[in-house]
Amino acid sequence: MADRISYFRQKGDPYILGTGMALILTLGMVIFIVTVILVKGLGFFWPSDLLQADLPDRIYLGEVWDETSKRQTDRNGHIIEIPEIQLKVGNRELYGSDFVWLDEAEVSQRKYPLAASTFERYEFGNFYGYIRSVQMGDSVYSQEPKFMFDRAKDAHDIALENRSRKRAFEEELNELITPLSRLQREISLLEIETSAEKQAELDELKQKAAHLETEISEKYLELSDEIQKLTRENEGIFVRVESADGKKTVIHLADVVRFYQPNDMNLFQKSVLYISKLWEFISANPRESNTEGGVFPAIFGTVLMVLLMSIAVVPFGVLAALYLNEYAKQGTIIRLIRLSVNNLAGVPSIVFGIFGLGFFIYMVGGTIDQVFFSDKLPEPTFGTGGILWASLTLALLTLPVVVVATEEGILAVPRANKEGALALGATRWQMVRKIILPNAMPGILTGLILAISRGAGEVAPLMITGVVKLAPSLALDGVFPFLHLDRKFMHLGFHIYDVGFQSPNVEAAKPMVYTTALLLILLVICLNLLAIYMRNRLRKKYKTAVF
Amino acid sequence: MKKAEKKIFRKKVDRANKLARYIISIGGYGIIVSIVGILLFLIYQSLPLGFQTSIEKLFSIDLPSRSARIVLTGIDQYQEIVYTLNENGIISFYRLEDKQVVRRDSVPLAETEKILTATKGNLNREIFALGTTQGQIITAEIRMLPEYHQNERIIKPSFRIVDSFVTHTDSSLEMHHVENLSFAFTEDGLFYWAWTDHTGTLFLQIQDPEEDQPFLYDLTENIGEQQVSQLILDFEARKLIIGSYEGELFWFDLSDIEDVYLKDNWKASQHPITALAFLIGDNALVIGDAQGMLESWFPVRNEENEIKFLPVYQFSGHNTAVTKIVVSPRNRTFMSIEESGMIHLNYNTTQKTQLTFRKSDYAIQAAAISPKSNGIVLVDGGNRLGTYILDDEHPEVTLKTLFGKVWYEGYNQPEFVWQSTGGSDDFEPKLSLIPLIFGTLKGTFYAMIFSIPLAILAAIYVSQFSPKWLARTIKPTVEIMAALPSVVIGFLAGLYFSPLFEEHLVTLFLFVAFLPLIFALGVFIWRLIPEKKRMIMPLGWELLYVIPIILVTYVIVHFISLPVESWLFNGNLKQWIFESLGQTYDQRNSIVVGFALGFAVIPIIFTISEDALSNVPESLTSASLALGASRWQTVRKVVLPAASGGIFAAVMLGFGRAIGETMIVLMATGNTPILDISPFNGFRAMSACIAVEIPEAPVGGTLYRVLFLIAFLLFVFTFIINSLSAIIGDRLRKKYSRF
Repeated sequence: MADRISYFRQKGDPYILGTGMALILTLGMVIFIVTVILVKGLGFFWPSDLLQADLPDRIYLGEVWDETSKRQTDRNGHIIEIPEIQLKVGNRELYGSDFVWLDEAEVSQRKYPLAASTFERYEFGNFYGYIRSVQMGDSVYSQEPKFMFDRAKDAHDIALENRSRKRAFEEELNELITPLSRLQREISLLEIETSAEKQAELDELKQKAAHLETEISEKYLELSDEIQKLTRENEGIFVRVESADGKKTVIHLADVVRFYQPNDMNLFQKSVLYISKLWEFISANPRESNTEGGVFPAIFGTVLMVLLMSIAVVPFGVLAALYLNEYAKQGTIIRLIRLSVNNLAGVPSIVFGIFGLGFFIYMVGGTIDQVFFSDKLPEPTFGTGGILWASLTLALLTLPVVVVATEEGILAVPRANKEGALALGATRWQMVRKIILPNAMPGILTGLILAISRGAGEVAPLMITGVVKLAPSLALDGVFPFLHLDRKFMHLGFHIYDVGFQSPNVEAAKPMVYTTALLLILLVICLNLLAIYMRNRLRKKYKTAVF
Repeated sequence: MKKAEKKIFRKKVDRANKLARYIISIGGYGIIVSIVGILLFLIYQSLPLGFQTSIEKLFSIDLPSRSARIVLTGIDQYQEIVYTLNENGIISFYRLEDKQVVRRDSVPLAETEKILTATKGNLNREIFALGTTQGQIITAEIRMLPEYHQNERIIKPSFRIVDSFVTHTDSSLEMHHVENLSFAFTEDGLFYWAWTDHTGTLFLQIQDPEEDQPFLYDLTENIGEQQVSQLILDFEARKLIIGSYEGELFWFDLSDIEDVYLKDNWKASQHPITALAFLIGDNALVIGDAQGMLESWFPVRNEENEIKFLPVYQFSGHNTAVTKIVVSPRNRTFMSIEESGMIHLNYNTTQKTQLTFRKSDYAIQAAAISPKSNGIVLVDGGNRLGTYILDDEHPEVTLKTLFGKVWYEGYNQPEFVWQSTGGSDDFEPKLSLIPLIFGTLKGTFYAMIFSIPLAILAAIYVSQFSPKWLARTIKPTVEIMAALPSVVIGFLAGLYFSPLFEEHLVTLFLFVAFLPLIFALGVFIWRLIPEKKRMIMPLGWELLYVIPIILVTYVIVHFISLPVESWLFNGNLKQWIFESLGQTYDQRNSIVVGFALGFAVIPIIFTISEDALSNVPESLTSASLALGASRWQTVRKVVLPAASGGIFAAVMLGFGRAIGETMIVLMATGNTPILDISPFNGFRAMSACIAVEIPEAPVGGTLYRVLFLIAFLLFVFTFIINSLSAIIGDRLRKKYSRF
């Protein structure tokens, strides 16, 4: 028996099984995490049914948010699990908070009424209740639910159309009066001056302002009239609704993003709504302090920042890799540069961040401000975080990745081609330009892709060099100079951190964070798969290049 | 023609070649420049922490050399105007630039009346009380405010009398000299005066401007036989400290102005107390005695829950009696001046005498520190006034306060504390790096014990035992795991796993405990199957057998967790931990962080170990197997040693990554800077500290530079780890790869 055991132990099967278990556990964790994000992220946009729960003291209507069980000790000292439901009841202006926890045992009845409606609004979050009547100007509709729902849909379309037209008019109005208000500001600045020449300038400006005013007054009145008309019209388009516990209120349809009756929708309708919400997620701006709407500015900011970073890092990295492989003499310099690359790769990302803050922002940015923007001081232009400094900081951070990947690409170029070119009389640079660079392209691209993937995911250095929770405008727009390098921007990774940990309503925001995390992961995984594919193609080339 | 063209072409090509070489070299050297630049910048920003305090004499004014003694001096916040008040009540304002007198005022005094003592009563205003030879106490205020004309700044000095009263009400004609005087003008606008007159009587008068009648106390009997040598009120007038010629201190509690009482008294020195002062914050009491001893005491709560003053810091003493202590209005710096005219500049929390100097051979009549604590005014016995620039940017930081235990105000013993900012201006910054370094190491420790076994064992399996097709899919999967942004991992850890672990803590522990047991059981069953049947399972498919083991463990654990919890832990594991181990369970704790950080680090260790293991020459493994060793024996005795270099490098790299990781520790710990090894609470790591504090730190201030110092330490840590991994990895590789 002892012999059998020791033989068995020597053979080592248990240890082999043990290593296998380590692998399964590791893979299991990865799969588990990805699944959690997938389910919670994708599940958020599926329109969920509205549950009406009758409790002894009140009727609740809302989306089922979470189901857990609380552990309590009962009279005999045993632990019992009490199942609980968390319901999102919305109606923040009525109840104060969006969520309630209900004891399942107390629920006397559960229903899914067909007429229960979900209203997604621009402010105050969702409303869950029943439509009692629809008002469109002078006409009121208050017959059966289906009829009211359709009328409400029409009214909503009209209200939204009015809203967007109103917005267009407001923009036009703004553009109209901008030159006038700029003049007026100059006038007020000049008014405190007392010298004679300034007085003459002041009079001239005042004349110009008066002129301008008369010019635009007609158009101004016309536009403000239109805006007023639309506002009044929208004030007359609303629904009277009632919550599950009998509280009545009015919802103006212009304030509603969308509304639907989930219990009455079939699979197809729900899928259509799901896709439209998914699309809104990618293309729209955030609403409700980042708990609803979309993450478009974050996507845009991430892409723009990564683009700027690539412009900075790729040339630098390629040059460095070229130097290492083609130009440097063997010995100390090469060892030093490789040592530097290795250490640069190991430096924690926050150290890059603080370097970016202290050096790029305060030192370089501060100097730029003093030389070029001294009239705006003490308000900093480049002396504060912005997309330029953030991109440069990340460029430093991802530099080692690009260098290493480019080196792999350069090494894959067959020596025969390189030496042949030199033998035929090409200068070193001609050889690099015509032979190495084209053939090393896969390596360079791999480096670029890995750098992009890193840049999309790194948050710590960005937090302190120019990312914000809500950017008032994009860094790239239609106003000269079009690319505003000094603007702050939004970033997908930071969005996850900020919304998940620093928003006032974390419970409501969590699902959006999962979806954002899913988006980020998908982006990063796709990029990495692309890089792996490129690298495999490179390896194949390398295999055939042995000479 | 053609030849000339060719020549031009050739020249262009050569020029392009040279230019290219130049630019490409810049690219290459640029890498070195980058990393050296980062290092130098970090050092450059943190070095000023170690700069010595220095003073530089700026202006010197010879005051009119009459025998009138100067009792008070002061300087404005821009250091343009100084004033002197002499014993005859004449106030002179001098503009330092041209040493001209810009204004003169006078305190209304009687013919032969002279000012005996003058004392300031507020850190933010030049409001002071004067005691005269005829028993008057006059309270006055000087203002030196800036006015702006045509973008130029001019300081306008002004003077007004706030209050005055006579200290004696008896009808005797004998004049009571006011000998010792202390004054406080508190935030809520109350006036407090404490004084002794030449008969030795100790008085305390409190005036609320909204009331007509002040409170007047005669506290002489509390002092007993002793004689008052010094007295001081703190800035918010909650304490009155009396020092005697016998070296004893008396503490009067003034928190209730209607009920002032003697709270405590104790012997502080063998010699007469000659100087007393409270530092900003009203906690630290600085004491100087006749032999030049200089100490600071502050109130500490002892085991009996009483508050007593304890001697906390001893400073390098003076040779002669300490006559004045001047306190900085900004921080815990104070100037101690002795009889012979020697001046020490000290900082309380670091117990450091930063500077000793002497103005001249004379003693010092009056001294002041500027409002921004960047200048000093001294008037010496020869009636010469000198102003100095005080360069003392970071007095709070020394190696000892960064790395040693410090006794802070409000604590009963020296501790390691990190608390960089507080609610008020008189907050004492506590900048010890030890809690942060400890936090980083704690997180790394828990991450490593989770990730190293899993990663290395998995790497062994993939490189040695698994079928080739499996290896080819697993490697990219793990690479993708490496690419997962740490934000996402941190977010999941903080918002999903923390509550999950807290809910199912028992299940988790049981799983970890049962897995080896069920595993052993599985192995035992496996062994029972006759060898021939076992061989049916192709080598490398053992994986399949492992999956059911894990599933069975989970199922068993899921069902027994509730009964186990109620049986072993009285129904509540968290409560049990608190009662028997004395620790509270934080939702965001080190177990969660270890898991998350470990998850982030596993791919790194796995990839590099796997590479190293795969690169062991097949000749070695084949030889071992051919000689009859089992697969495992080969791995243990041949492959592992050969790959040890790579595995070591992998672990080191993972270690470096775990130390520098920011987002995960930011989101999954509670970010509390505590020194506790328990896995049930959180910590604050160096990287997370930088991320959280640098946006709020004033540029160039002490906290800002300390954060750069922390970044420098992180840089050095990772540099050392990288170098170690390279050196030792190489050495191990050389040792074991003989083929």
